[in-house]
Amino acid sequence: MVSFIARRLVVSVLLIIGAAFIMYVLTSLAGDPLEEFYQSRLPNREQLMAQRIERLQLNVPVALRFFLWLGGAAKCLIPFADACDLGLTVQGQPVTELLPQAMGATLQLVTAATVLAIIIGITVGIVSALRQYTTFDVFVTFLSFLLYSLPSFWVGVLLKEFVAIGFNNFLRDPVIPIPWVIAIAVGTGLLWVGLIGGDMRRRLTVFGVSTLATAAVLVYFNLSNWFITPALGPVVVLVMSAGIGLVMVALLAGIRNRRALLTAGISVAITFVVYFLVQPLLNISSLYTLMILAAATLVVGLLTGFFVGGPDRGQMMRIGAFTAVLSAGLILVDRYMRAWPTYMGLSSIRGRPIATVGAETPNLVGDIWVQGVDSFTHLLLPTLTLMLISFAAYTRYARAGMLDVLNQDYIRTARAKGMPERVVIVRHAFRNSLIPIATIVAADFGALLGGAIITEQVFAFSGMGAMFQRGLSLPDPNPVMGYFIVIAVMAILFNLIADLTYSALDPRVRTR
Amino acid sequence: MKINRIGAPLAVATIAAMALVGCTTTDPGEEPPASTGGTITVAEVNELTAFTSSTSDTNLDMNGKFIGYTRSSFFYLDEALNLIPDTSFGTVEKTSDEPLTVKYTLADTASWSDGTAITANDLLLAWAAQSGYFDDASLDPETGEVASGTRYFDYAGDTSGLGLADRPVVGDNNMSITLTYSEPYADWQLVNPIDAPLHVVADKAGVSVEDAVDALTTAPRGDAANPNENATIKALADTWNTVFTATSLPSDSSLYLSSAAFVLDSWTPKQSITLVRNEAYKGDLVPNVDTIVVRFIGDAQAQVTALQNGEVDIINPQASADTIASLQALDGVTTLTGDQFSYDHLDITFNTGVFQNAPDVREAFLKTIPRQQILDAIVTPQNPEAQQYDSQIFFPGTAGYEETIKSNGADAYHEVDIEGAKALLNGATPTVRILYNINNPNRVAAFQAIQASAQQAGFVIEDAGAENWGSLLGSGTYDASIFGWISSGVGVGGVPQIFGTTGGGNYSGYSNAEVDRLANLLQVTLDKDEQDAIQVEIDKLLWADGYGVPLFVAPGVMAHSDSVSGVVYYPGQAGVGWNFWEWTKS
Amino acid sequence: MSLSHTDIPDPTALEREVETEGVSQGRLILRRFLRNKIAMISLGIFLAVVALALSSSGIFGIPGWWKYSHTDLPKLLDGGKPTLSLIPEWLGGDGIHLGEHPFGQTLIGIDYFAMTMRGVQNSLIVMFVIGILVAVIGTVVGAVAGYYRGWVESVLMRFTDLIIIIPVIVLGAVVGQIANQHFQGLGVLGLSIVLGLFLWTGLARLVRGEFLTLREREYVDAARVFGAGDARIMFRHILPNAIGVVIVTTTLVMAAAILLETGLSFIGFGIRTPDVSLGLIISQNQTAFSTRPYLFVWPGVFIVIIALTVNFIGDGLRDAFDPRQSRFVPRKMKEQVKA
Repeated sequence: MVSFIARRLVVSVLLIIGAAFIMYVLTSLAGDPLEEFYQSRLPNREQLMAQRIERLQLNVPVALRFFLWLGGAAKCLIPFADACDLGLTVQGQPVTELLPQAMGATLQLVTAATVLAIIIGITVGIVSALRQYTTFDVFVTFLSFLLYSLPSFWVGVLLKEFVAIGFNNFLRDPVIPIPWVIAIAVGTGLLWVGLIGGDMRRRLTVFGVSTLATAAVLVYFNLSNWFITPALGPVVVLVMSAGIGLVMVALLAGIRNRRALLTAGISVAITFVVYFLVQPLLNISSLYTLMILAAATLVVGLLTGFFVGGPDRGQMMRIGAFTAVLSAGLILVDRYMRAWPTYMGLSSIRGRPIATVGAETPNLVGDIWVQGVDSFTHLLLPTLTLMLISFAAYTRYARAGMLDVLNQDYIRTARAKGMPERVVIVRHAFRNSLIPIATIVAADFGALLGGAIITEQVFAFSGMGAMFQRGLSLPDPNPVMGYFIVIAVMAILFNLIADLTYSALDPRVRTR
Repeated sequence: MKINRIGAPLAVATIAAMALVGCTTTDPGEEPPASTGGTITVAEVNELTAFTSSTSDTNLDMNGKFIGYTRSSFFYLDEALNLIPDTSFGTVEKTSDEPLTVKYTLADTASWSDGTAITANDLLLAWAAQSGYFDDASLDPETGEVASGTRYFDYAGDTSGLGLADRPVVGDNNMSITLTYSEPYADWQLVNPIDAPLHVVADKAGVSVEDAVDALTTAPRGDAANPNENATIKALADTWNTVFTATSLPSDSSLYLSSAAFVLDSWTPKQSITLVRNEAYKGDLVPNVDTIVVRFIGDAQAQVTALQNGEVDIINPQASADTIASLQALDGVTTLTGDQFSYDHLDITFNTGVFQNAPDVREAFLKTIPRQQILDAIVTPQNPEAQQYDSQIFFPGTAGYEETIKSNGADAYHEVDIEGAKALLNGATPTVRILYNINNPNRVAAFQAIQASAQQAGFVIEDAGAENWGSLLGSGTYDASIFGWISSGVGVGGVPQIFGTTGGGNYSGYSNAEVDRLANLLQVTLDKDEQDAIQVEIDKLLWADGYGVPLFVAPGVMAHSDSVSGVVYYPGQAGVGWNFWEWTKS
Repeated sequence: MSLSHTDIPDPTALEREVETEGVSQGRLILRRFLRNKIAMISLGIFLAVVALALSSSGIFGIPGWWKYSHTDLPKLLDGGKPTLSLIPEWLGGDGIHLGEHPFGQTLIGIDYFAMTMRGVQNSLIVMFVIGILVAVIGTVVGAVAGYYRGWVESVLMRFTDLIIIIPVIVLGAVVGQIANQHFQGLGVLGLSIVLGLFLWTGLARLVRGEFLTLREREYVDAARVFGAGDARIMFRHILPNAIGVVIVTTTLVMAAAILLETGLSFIGFGIRTPDVSLGLIISQNQTAFSTRPYLFVWPGVFIVIIALTVNFIGDGLRDAFDPRQSRFVPRKMKEQVKA
């Protein structure tokens, strides 16, 4: 294992050096950093040029200059020495000073997009595979192809226009017009029909119920001015956490498992009681409080499972933990929603919450809830833009992977043994269908970081993409190289992680 | 054992509960009541990189704008490039013409935001930086690098003007300096001897204020022949060169002291800076708003959307036709368009090639330049009121420009005159090689238009466009060139640079004894009106010689939400914030 | 169901087909492809777009039927509003007609239909040039590496490894900037050639994989025994058996190339004014969305149509070539091109 990682690392380092060399030469071909002086009327032009030549070592031939750069970059590997040297910008700022800020912004963006795309994409893909050839499946397939063919900059601009400006305008008089209510309700109804399927009668029932329910919710939103003062409230929290509990039981233990139901029930009940108890504490919470609360929730969930226990203690603990954490998540969502009116009323927001640029409202005054809502309103659109394409890809992979696995002999064997379909899917098929996805996620992360260049431009997000783009167009070679080295190291790192995950998921693959 | 089983979780729970309570925060409560003035949010393309814009590394637009918000000076330039003195900071007085003697007296209200009074010490430091007085470096003529001696202050501007002055004489209880120039310096009015606070620079350099002042007032003028490094000044200069750069808010607030109405309050890297009222400010330029937030939004289109969405109040994006069109279509937004201080021009090579000693060919060629067509194609979509740019020297909107176009003869080239050109050529078909930047679409478009037009008159146009056009300037490998000058818009120092026979920016090989004489005269003329008169003369000569034609002035755009008033278009580098004290927010 | 991926056809049906008609492998694939409804519809739409773009503004100096070019400056009519009308008169519309400027005009009067068509043309050029280059270079490099193995393989594959590390959009941006700096005169062609020179790495890997297995087959030995040269074995004997990977991957690379080019043009490293790219005009007209949405919508719609149909065609080809083939390998390649 250790020797495998070591060998991989050595190869990776060599690869990065080689790629960096290619990149360095290409970047130097892409523009002359002295260009801007050619039409300058500054009296001290010569001297400024001399300074820049010295700073960027432009008098050294490119190939040699690369090794000077590499020497500086190699110092980054010395731990704690703080000797990292990735060169200077044309203005003489060390690239190492600029990188951390830029990385922070970009990672914030890309992480959320990746996580969401993985979770939603895999879920939809698997459901789509299990519902192969249904309307839902065709719809998902078409949708994923469509999303895959959408230029992200186009989507980004559309989102800004419709979601940000459109929704903000809508908030001036937040009532969904009746035709829209009908359209949304019917659309939702059709979606559920496609998802659940069944015979004609069942379809009609599903359609009727889901359409009416959606319409009712939307009308309630209209009447209660929900978009201005949103909240879930205790009843919805209770109903939804009960739903979560049921889903968890159904997925992990089967709906007939009494102990599992009991575990989930207790978790939900505790959550509901806590909902009332914790509110005053939440009002004065800091991030650390929330972290402690989250840990406590996890422990309570595990303990519930532990004490209900029975023969399948591990399973019960999983159910308890998942139910507790997800239900507690609802409390958080509810609390964030209640911060919404405060947020909307702030003088810096002026009733237009969804932002089109940047990562935060400057000088926001407010508690963590308001801050959280602010991050949400700023990250929403760029994350969506980044997510849609990855989502499409993951859906395809997950669907294909699941179908592949479902056609394997061992699944047939499992079914033939008389195992419940739930167990076959969750235990046998799901886990194995994840194996190929692990590699794809790793490969995709690099692509996603690259895609951030466009998204960052559309949403004026000053991350690494912006740094790269600026560096390339100025031209200012060292930030471009700084960007590259981060991207390359990340890509290699994620591929390594993918390989390790691979071996964890698939015992046949040994990492030697 | 039993106790432990109960006790351990109990202990854990207790500790957890304590931690939980310990980690809470107090309720921040309501937003502080909005004070009267309100907040204005401005979008800027680039991020702040330093709390100074005087060194060559920090001489960037946003740094300059930051200085505009947070530093007072003896004068500022209004939108028509008039010098407006700020007497609440200090007064400038020319006490003698012969020799030129100028006295700068600080108002006693002038102070830094840490409470320290602004004194002649600070003026001395600025003078030392801007004059290069102590420099004794000799430059390698090949590379431009320092061969021997020391170049102390890495000042971004030209030191030759203030370098003419002697060491200033401090007076009025350390509240004034008097500069005496060894020869007349035409741009003396643009000297603004205030920069970083000396007490901060001295402190960071590890020098006492007394020693610093002592060094500045006693160290001899630098002599490149006998370099002799002064350690104190070196320490001061090194600090001055580097200490004010930053990528985030430094913990030491002395690095961003203010002497104007606003002071930096916070800086979220890559996002925004926030400027709040400077409580110590006692001057006249008192703003109506309490807070100015500058957000960094690089993309022009993103700026427009942000303005539309109410996230920012004022924007100052890169101009493009659609930026302007979409701005004009927005409700509740006022769009301001105008010129920028940069212009594209066609120059003719005088010392080699087809135009050498051939005034008729020059005139014929210039007659074929489709100036209106180029203007219509490139500028009109962005600035519908744009007109042909008719001066080699003055910028539109200035008093001198109005004066010069009456007489300089530029109107002869307003319309393409193919027949007139043919008559002048008299059947000849001269070949003209035109140099331009093939990577600049505007230049390419201009070249194509000129090519099409000139060919009609019989010229053979050779495409000498190159990507390394800059290094080809002045090489004599072309007969005409299309490129742009970027200018500060004020001062007369550029005139001999470009049009003088030996000027560093004279790539055309242009030489006219009368122009040289006038340009030299201009250099020693101190009165603005007389300067203008001389420049009008030069302009007329340039047009008569067929120096070339200016093509257009680059358009610029600013826009603001209608909840803000007092925003005035400004063509210079100070940008939209040049009159921030006049802004109001409803 | 044509969209299925692990849709395993009835093997007996397949055999019957082969036996009764004695068709070649190629005809079989073609027939499977032709039977794929979605792929055929996509192909139809795609060809229609190609025909529209080529015929309207002409190509290689041949004039098209549309009266304006993307550089003409006709008078601005009615504020540049689009004149396209698709609602027939009997429905209360203006009747179906193109009008003077179906997609409207830009602010200075350039016909937007001509611009969009020119953009589509450029996208198609980029797509095909990149497609051809990728197919040729990728196949040759992969074939040589997989066939010869040893140090040849090591050198070639380590080189592809090097390039693959750089995310495609990053590589594309740098390379696009180089094309703009040094091959300005070549315009779109220059950009696509330079891009194509760097995008073949994924295909090369796949082809190498195919060759590694195929070279061990008996028929290769047989050919060698009969004295066939290396080149002949590689390209006459092995390649036909690996052609599926090449075609499918190239198609998907082409779909991704369209998005890459438009994306690069959007951020300023692709096609530049005065030429036209769909990405560039979207970038220029972003804010015109609220006032003149037609400037923004049309180029986007065309990008989506082209990319979507090509993706579907590629998907159909994959199903045709190997109905059992796992989807992961070509997808992965595509992932790399698409950023």
